[in-house]
Amino acid sequence: MNPIDEKKVPETQVDRSYLNEVFEAGAEVTGLVVRADSFSAKSVDELTSEKISSPKYTYWGSVWRRFFSSKVAIFMLVVFSVIFLMSMIHPLISGYDHLNVVNINDRSKWFLRPSAEHLFGTDDVGRDMFALVWSGARTSLFISIMATLITLTIGVIVGMWWGFSKRLDVIMIEIYNIIANVPFTLIVMILAFTTGGGVWQLIFALSCTSWIGVAYFIRVQVMIRRDREYNLASKCLGSSSGKIIKNNIFPYLISVLMTIISRDIPSYISYEVFLSYIGVGLSEKVASLGRVIETSSKHMQSAPYLFFIPLVVTALISVSLYIVGQTLADASDPRNHMI
Amino acid sequence: MGRYIWIRLLKSLLSIAIVVSIVVVLVYKLVPTSKVFEGDEAFRKLKANAKVLYTYNRLETLGYCDYLTSGEMLAAELGEKAHSLKPSDEEYQRVLQVFRDRGYTIEELTYNDKLQGTHVAYRFYNSFELIGHFFAKLFQVDTPNAIQDPNWPEGLQRGYRFEKDHNGIYALTCAGCKHKYQLYFDKHFPFIHQNFIHIYFGESYPSQQGVNTLEVIGSSQGKKVKIEQTFPSGQVLKSPINQHSRKYKFTRDHLDEKKYGDDPYADTTNMQEAPSMIFTSYRIGLLSILFAYLFAIPMGIWMAKRKGKLIDKIGIIYINFILALPSLALIFFFKVIGYRFNLPDKFPQLGFHDIRSYILPVMLLAIMSTPGLMMWLRRYMVDQETSDYVKFARAKGLSNREIYNRHIFKNAVIPIVNGIPGSIILAISGAVITESMFAVPGMGKMLPDAIKAANNNMVITLSFIFTALSILSVFLGDLLMTVVDPRISLTVKEGLE
Repeated sequence: MNPIDEKKVPETQVDRSYLNEVFEAGAEVTGLVVRADSFSAKSVDELTSEKISSPKYTYWGSVWRRFFSSKVAIFMLVVFSVIFLMSMIHPLISGYDHLNVVNINDRSKWFLRPSAEHLFGTDDVGRDMFALVWSGARTSLFISIMATLITLTIGVIVGMWWGFSKRLDVIMIEIYNIIANVPFTLIVMILAFTTGGGVWQLIFALSCTSWIGVAYFIRVQVMIRRDREYNLASKCLGSSSGKIIKNNIFPYLISVLMTIISRDIPSYISYEVFLSYIGVGLSEKVASLGRVIETSSKHMQSAPYLFFIPLVVTALISVSLYIVGQTLADASDPRNHMI
Repeated sequence: MGRYIWIRLLKSLLSIAIVVSIVVVLVYKLVPTSKVFEGDEAFRKLKANAKVLYTYNRLETLGYCDYLTSGEMLAAELGEKAHSLKPSDEEYQRVLQVFRDRGYTIEELTYNDKLQGTHVAYRFYNSFELIGHFFAKLFQVDTPNAIQDPNWPEGLQRGYRFEKDHNGIYALTCAGCKHKYQLYFDKHFPFIHQNFIHIYFGESYPSQQGVNTLEVIGSSQGKKVKIEQTFPSGQVLKSPINQHSRKYKFTRDHLDEKKYGDDPYADTTNMQEAPSMIFTSYRIGLLSILFAYLFAIPMGIWMAKRKGKLIDKIGIIYINFILALPSLALIFFFKVIGYRFNLPDKFPQLGFHDIRSYILPVMLLAIMSTPGLMMWLRRYMVDQETSDYVKFARAKGLSNREIYNRHIFKNAVIPIVNGIPGSIILAISGAVITESMFAVPGMGKMLPDAIKAANNNMVITLSFIFTALSILSVFLGDLLMTVVDPRISLTVKEGLE
């Protein structure tokens, strides 16, 4: 008799008197006196019994739990937050303008070692390095984050469409074959050269062709998932392509996108710094870590702080972003969410 | 398969043509022409109307525009009688109007000198014309009728003949061609040289003015090397002249006659001691690839074998660190370390013949290409480990070592093999970042240099070379993969679509 059948019979009418014989027989052996009416009826809660008992699962909850289980990632997140904050609020702290070269003729203001007044010292024309380094960091961060955002937005939109449309695929794959085979350094340098210096021109140069790489990546992911059974079922039930993309495919792409972000931002920073270093790209008016490193590399032996501080800041930005991004990519992959 | 290769080759050529066309248009249309003249000494010294004339003349030779002086305009329209016309004449104004109707811009020379009041006409080419001109002059064929000179020496018959050169080896020479030696042999790579057909990307300007861009990249650099040699006139001289480079010279002086007699082929280049840009880049690139593979393949295997152990963790930290660190920072850290070991931080400090100049660039290039190799090899090997054939091999009692070396490695290395031709060929193009940081006189450094000097033709040349090399290397990589693994077919089998 299963419990649900039993419930159909009103509890009070169940005659359990036949049990008394059993209990009496038992009492003779054990000495315990139990009677049938010492049991009271307990009704079963239908709602609770329907529930499957398992730990509570939310996607983002699991992502954060997994992310914060990595001590290295937390440390790198702190490092990155500090750098990010400093690059945003540094004018409040330093009190110097990185473009201000009034001390260019004042020898006593050149090559000052780091002190309370000039936290990172001063450079060969008496500029405050603290202001210079952080505004350079801000430029680098701005350019790389903007370029990544543009690349991702265009890449994801085109990639989704590309993965779904076979007609588009024929054309796009040829375009991709052409662009992907051209060295990226060449593309960036030529675009930075021909469009002239400037922050937005550099962002354009960085994102002009790199979106197609992201789009190709997304295309492959979409193609893998497009014809899975659950999507076919969803289609049969009348879901539109847009709905399938949004609800069934996009969530799987989050960790893929995180991987792309964590790879792209450091590489864009690397390109920006290199282009400024060789003098292609940003104009003199924009502070840039690359140019700071270039000018101070001449004083590598005499004033090493001038050279190492911007270099270390550049390295820290890249490494921290990379590690945070990679950990987040791992954490946002649902297959890694062990319960 | 044969058909596939042909189609792929055609597609590759088309891709190269498209990329180069885009670069040509970008460079000619977007770079301000004022920037082109920044590095030109002659331009800086000129003044007034002469400067205007020089500007348009230069722009025409660089391929920006079609340019005519008033004299040329009149001669083109009216023929011989044009010389006496003055700007005030009606006929003169009519000719200007004709050119204006053809889309030319007419500019009056306003500075107060004897050219004042005359006009010049110019018309900048549109994108299609620019591309057309670029491809029209791309291949230059040398024929016995190439030289048309009113002072052509009498008694010199046009045509090909076999002659002994100054080394006493037979060579095919030509009278009437631009180059005297059409086919010759010497002890320099690639030993057989030809001058029948040349690829021409224009002349380098403003740096190395007037020299063919490919020659700038491909010919030796540095100090002249003097060697004792016999000239056709019988004179023995210690001279840096490379006699194989003899080209037709229109105006010859007495020095040329001393060396070559009445032979008009007296235009020569010098031999220099340092290897060419291509060769310098290639030497560094090849060495670095060798070291990269020697380091990365054993490391990748080791990491895969000890997955999750200490060495794997160290390897992963190494990979991530190198990938995340900006190349500039990595190079500088190595420069600082190199300084402790007395290594030069710039290549020219010790020059090309000192091995210490090569250590840092080669090491850096190798290190920068290891993370990719290590990561992929490890990933492929770990993936193979769980496959059925490995389980089967294990069940049959093969040792771990046999399984790894004979089965897993062979399968895992196939995708890595795909990249080998690419990395070898791309070594020619050099590493832009590393070479510019170490001031290595190679192709990689040439690109930023050309860009900074606004040397348009050089930028186009380098784009062509880099693009062609990378497209062809991907192609070769795919072909090599089919050789290594016969299961792979590049063509889509029918019925699979």
